Amino acid sequence: MWQIMNLPRLYHRLRLTARSLHSSANGQQVEKVAVAVDPDVPSQVSVFRTSENDPTCHTELHAGQYYTLPPAHMRTLFPHGLPPRFQMQMKTFNEACVMVRQPALELITCLRKADYSEPALRYVLYGEKGCGKTLSLCHVLHFCSTQGWLVLHIPDAHLWVKNCRELLPSSSRPGRFDQPIQALNWLKNFKTTNEHFLSKIKTTQRYVWTKRESTEEGRPLGELVDQGVSRVKSSSDVVGALLRELRLQAGGAAEGAFRLAVAVDGVNALWGKTTLKKEDKSEVLPEELTLIHNLRKMLRNDWCGGAILTTLSQTGSLFKPRSAYLPMELLGEEGFDNMDPFVPIPVSNYSDKEFESCYLYYLDRNWLQHPHSRTEDGKKELIFLSSRNPSILERLCAFL
Amino acid sequence: MAASTFCPALLPLLRINCKFNGVYTRISLNRRAAYSLGLTASNGVERQGLPERGNQGQRRQRRAVEPRTERMTVDQDWTAVYPTAASFKPNSVPLPVRMGYPVKRGVPPAKKGNLELIKIPNFLHLTPEAIKKHCEALKPFCTEWPAALDSDAKCEEHFPIQVESKAYVSAGPSLRNPNARIITLTVKLSSLNLDEHARKKLIRLSGERYNKDTDTLTITTDSCPMKQQNYDYAMYLLTVLYHESWKTEAWEKEKTRADMEEYVWEDSPSQKNILETLLRMRPLGEKEEEGEVREELLGRVEVQEYKDSVTKLKNEGETETNMQQYKEAVKKLLNI
Repeated sequence: MWQIMNLPRLYHRLRLTARSLHSSANGQQVEKVAVAVDPDVPSQVSVFRTSENDPTCHTELHAGQYYTLPPAHMRTLFPHGLPPRFQMQMKTFNEACVMVRQPALELITCLRKADYSEPALRYVLYGEKGCGKTLSLCHVLHFCSTQGWLVLHIPDAHLWVKNCRELLPSSSRPGRFDQPIQALNWLKNFKTTNEHFLSKIKTTQRYVWTKRESTEEGRPLGELVDQGVSRVKSSSDVVGALLRELRLQAGGAAEGAFRLAVAVDGVNALWGKTTLKKEDKSEVLPEELTLIHNLRKMLRNDWCGGAILTTLSQTGSLFKPRSAYLPMELLGEEGFDNMDPFVPIPVSNYSDKEFESCYLYYLDRNWLQHPHSRTEDGKKELIFLSSRNPSILERLCAFL
Repeated sequence: MAASTFCPALLPLLRINCKFNGVYTRISLNRRAAYSLGLTASNGVERQGLPERGNQGQRRQRRAVEPRTERMTVDQDWTAVYPTAASFKPNSVPLPVRMGYPVKRGVPPAKKGNLELIKIPNFLHLTPEAIKKHCEALKPFCTEWPAALDSDAKCEEHFPIQVESKAYVSAGPSLRNPNARIITLTVKLSSLNLDEHARKKLIRLSGERYNKDTDTLTITTDSCPMKQQNYDYAMYLLTVLYHESWKTEAWEKEKTRADMEEYVWEDSPSQKNILETLLRMRPLGEKEEEGEVREELLGRVEVQEYKDSVTKLKNEGETETNMQQYKEAVKKLLNI
């Protein structure tokens, strides 16, 4: 136990040395210093922060350590993507630190090794409630955007199947329903994220919105998006057209080729039930919603040049018990048959090392105010109460 | 006031009773008391005689006798104490039994005068000794167990159908017991000659009566009034089930995937998906035909592994190990 007792001292020493080297340091040097300063301390007890902020360079060495998301990227990359509690934490701590964890690393390695001339591979992150699926997804999306991919991020598919005030019958197809507000919000966020792509990609087909409005072939995608933003009524159809364009053009052989990352959080919403009702009080099926229908088409692997990254989420789901977390439970028969074959990636609670890092991070940020929480016993209490579940730990520490 | 009406008639009788039989003094005392309540004047004479007779009655009160349990030895014959079903007699049972809800800060009440112990059924008449005696008494009426059937497996093999019935003996106004007509017939399906289709159809037809864990079909009949009739009916049901399950009706062709008992990978959406994915990964050459390519793809080891993992997932439910297996299979198949 003496090793853990030494931690605060070790950490302070390292911080001083890290600061002195910070001007010329890259990640490896800081860690070498860490090893040199205290060679008898085992490598498990190490710095909880890494200055390697580029996800491309994250490896197994960085597992369990926090890296900072550059604030400049934050607004463009994640206008709507981060979970609300994490956003509150960001505001409090004035920085966005994400832990590098094994599932995200595995996913990044798969993405790096994959062959993009073959059909898109589907990855499903699953795990118990609050163990870090959404944040792992955000980490991987950061990696994708640093690689220059086009990121199509649907932050929570459950928002599209419930609590919709305005449900318009679709203008283009009978029997379908549009959700103008949700589509509008999403288009705005999409525009913020992928500003630079919008002028480069051109449409391949003529789209007619109303008698007087249409988008010609060969116009930049930005115009399509603006059309959706300005004309709210046809925004759902615009989303459909946008998805279709991206599907057709991803991974093409042309010089304007880009890779497409489709990220859906809460993908089990697409095949579950909705709580929306039609005017005659009968239930709306998910396929009758334009947004869901188009998104389902996107999740099929009949296009190449990208990857489909999804998470299952019980948190917003409808009519699913709280203890359900395995893919078949949440996706259901239909969902599983549609997503098959996919690579399931389990996300679990914090390991010992990760818990250490989290605890040190909170200590560092002066988040744990209660004097008992800084003792060994306090730490054991935290482990016991939260059973190393990230979200429960975060909520517990918020009280301290 | 009933006493006042018949007292004059009984008066000579009572006096006679008093003289001859000491036992009746108490009764007569009561009657005299009733009598004395009713009439006042004519009682004067009798009342004077009362105190003497009261003393006699009080001296004749029963003394408390020690309970029989004190005189019981440890190795006595218990079957003689409780030869038949009888209610609990505290003075006959040498056990310090307590029963009942305790009062506050007390203990359950003791057995003496405990109505709870009397109310409940007891099995003091069915100790192992007593049962041995019953068996010995029944032995002359039994035949010997066949020596060849010395294990359960052999019994199963030679006598796959087992019929259970109960006989009831009780003393009452009638000897008959309607519960004696119930017959239970159990048979293991593995001992019947059934093919796959017949087995599935039989299980579906029998519904609740089939136990998957022990593979037994249990038919219980009680609709006829006599045991013989119920037995015939049970055998008839078994015969009908067997023969019907071998027949294939015309409408059985319309069985859909949703009706299937377990997941079959052939022609499933999973198979279609994987074939499409693999075909997209290596597009068809000019001379290759789609059917041949399909066969070839399906024959690959990775596809077989994938098929096993998906079937396992669907039939056995999801567990971490199944998921891991599925993950490995998909990774190998898609060259990750």
